[in-house]
Amino acid sequence: MLEVAVLLERIDATKTEKINENSPSNFNLNVSLSEKTRSAEALVLNFQLDLTTPQSTAKITLAGNATLKGTKDEIQGGITAPDDNRPPQVLITIYERLYGTVYLIASAMKVPPPLPNLLKKAP
Amino acid sequence: MVGETGVSMYSGVIRFYTLADLRRYLKELLERYQKEFDRSSNVIGSLLRVEGQKGMEVIMSKGWAKVGSIFVNISEPEKGSMEVVFQLVTEMKPRLAKTEEVLKTFESVEQLPIPEEATFLLYLRGGVPERLVVDTTEPRPVPYALRGKFTLGP
Repeated sequence: MLEVAVLLERIDATKTEKINENSPSNFNLNVSLSEKTRSAEALVLNFQLDLTTPQSTAKITLAGNATLKGTKDEIQGGITAPDDNRPPQVLITIYERLYGTVYLIASAMKVPPPLPNLLKKAP
Repeated sequence: MVGETGVSMYSGVIRFYTLADLRRYLKELLERYQKEFDRSSNVIGSLLRVEGQKGMEVIMSKGWAKVGSIFVNISEPEKGSMEVVFQLVTEMKPRLAKTEEVLKTFESVEQLPIPEEATFLLYLRGGVPERLVVDTTEPRPVPYALRGKFTLGP
């Protein structure tokens, strides 16, 4: 079974304008994943997640690395998206594991927290 | 089940995608063997220091009986444990030395004219790195990268 360990190494958060906490959440997520090291049974990925509101009035950046351990096929399955529009499982797992942190930061900044589920690739 | 010591000395084949990964693995393997060797020999050493005047009798148990095709010790668990740890330490020494030698001379492997896309199969025999296959039939996977924008939902 594929095991994923997520290690958060950096958090940046900025807010340039006052945002109504009760307004609907409208964060977009920009993702960068890149291979750091790979062996036959493990793959380490560097990740950076940028959560931004449309006018960049608030931005939360999380960076770190994720280690996938499993067979070659399990690892391949974890990094392969089911189709062109949907995220690969590893990205869903990274976002899920970090969501608690994202929620706390957004709450502390008094901005509507980003929504908890990754849906699809934006055009 | 709890692995006490020496359980990492297995036989098997491991694939590596780069020589740097292989070198790192050998270094970690050597460190692990050294740690296990130190720990086990400390146990034996401290016992011999305390009861050394009795010689090897302290370690050698007479409580072994052959049951089926395995030796079982019910009557002297402490001595029995010491004896097997002593045996393990004796076996560890040459494995440790051989692994150390492989790592010391690994530079000569790195200087071979190896195709860039090759991968490497390491054969470990009883924990000792014994053979290395430079495999050009299974190429290294293309480095993974993903960039994109995703929408979020409830």
